[in-house]
Amino acid sequence: MALSGQPVADADLNPGALVAGGTDLFRGRRASAMGYLGLPIVLAAVCGILFLWLGTQDLGSIERRSLNFERISTAFVEHMALAFVSTIFVIAIAVPLGVLLTRPAARPIVPPVIAVANIGQAVPSIGVLVILALIWTIGFWPAIVALVAYSILPVLRNTMVGLQQVDQPTIEAARGMGMTKRAVLQKIELPLAVPVILAGVRTALVINVGTATLATFVNAGGLGDIIQGGLVSNRQTVVLAGSVLTAALALFIDHIGGIAETRLSPKGL
Amino acid sequence: MTILDYLAAQGGRLLGLTIEHAILVLVSVTISTIIGVTLGVLTYRTERPRRTALAITGIFLTIPSFALFGLLVAPLGLGATPAVIALVMYGLLPIVRNTITGLRSVDPAIVESAQGMGMGRYRRLLRIELPLAWPIILTGVRVAAVIIVGIAAVAAVVNGPGLGKDIFRALARVGTPTAVPQAVSAVLGIIAIAILIDFFFMIVARLTTSRGIRA
Repeated sequence: MALSGQPVADADLNPGALVAGGTDLFRGRRASAMGYLGLPIVLAAVCGILFLWLGTQDLGSIERRSLNFERISTAFVEHMALAFVSTIFVIAIAVPLGVLLTRPAARPIVPPVIAVANIGQAVPSIGVLVILALIWTIGFWPAIVALVAYSILPVLRNTMVGLQQVDQPTIEAARGMGMTKRAVLQKIELPLAVPVILAGVRTALVINVGTATLATFVNAGGLGDIIQGGLVSNRQTVVLAGSVLTAALALFIDHIGGIAETRLSPKGL
Repeated sequence: MTILDYLAAQGGRLLGLTIEHAILVLVSVTISTIIGVTLGVLTYRTERPRRTALAITGIFLTIPSFALFGLLVAPLGLGATPAVIALVMYGLLPIVRNTITGLRSVDPAIVESAQGMGMGRYRRLLRIELPLAWPIILTGVRVAAVIIVGIAAVAAVVNGPGLGKDIFRALARVGTPTAVPQAVSAVLGIIAIAILIDFFFMIVARLTTSRGIRA
């Protein structure tokens, strides 16, 4: 699964260590149709059972107001907007930054940047959201800033690790063939780092889908609205339905991310 | 009101919440470690159970925290119980994964010589494999602890204990002079706990690593 990373033998280099390799329960044999469809089928079945169960429940007016198609689809669209917009910002910021930090000139400032980033990981996402809401404003944009701040580290770290693990002789061979440094970066280093960078992007996307659930507390909508609505009005049915939908969405996005990760990696690797 | 004024006025209460938060983390990490190491020991030798254990604990960590708290509130009600159970679930993956990685990275030649010396399965596991895998397992526990410290802040939405309570109280007081210092001091408390945990694990690693493999 995306949130957890490679086995962390070397903790000091990689204290948060969140990388890929877990929810792929159905994807052991990657090419098979079952590998791609297994998890979606299970998730669809869970949502179907939830729907049937809700049909047998005696729903009051509060439940009906929070669990209708319009309410849920609005929350869903808000949720996806939060998760995807923040992930695009993360890629746009973290990949160039990772490239800059791996250039030889940047070597002295790397340790402090890593140290700050690691402490930043200990900051709880709900804390960032609430502080931004208090000192700035509520709504979509502070939620985006909090999501970006919270999920930038995996992409930054994976970009740096991906670029650093490129075989040095390969780079020297390319330089020896007369390629400029820029051409080496674009044609050799970045393509070879793509699989690692994509793993980081998948992690960031899953973190963002999860954190976007908390956006409801700063009036930025999302599926958290439904759960929170149920908690506030003390309707367990609503809490349960909202939680199941949110969990199913997160697992589905992680699954799609896993497939994209395999498909988008350069063929030669 | 500056943060220092706030700390002067509310320091005692903040310390209480910080201790509450730390206890929540400690209890969850301990339970998570017991379950996670057991799962790792039971599954590391066979391919299918190993993959299943990693996949299921991976699913736990993918579920958004708010949704997991919500799922547990339905059967368990509000309070500390759903909070601890959710946090235990979040901590499992790094612990199970590192237990499996650690045990599998033990040199088979060493295990075979232990067997040749007449050590049985359990003694091999307890005297040879687990001590050699211990530094990696401990790293997994530390990663789990750091994840749990942060997520524990969300436990307040289901009336769980800890510093999250102050973050949500601050949000409810938006616009008042105490709101910002209250939220900031709660977040600082959480960061302080995370740093202390890192420090704690550094010392534990030094004290509990077998002398033969100490760096």
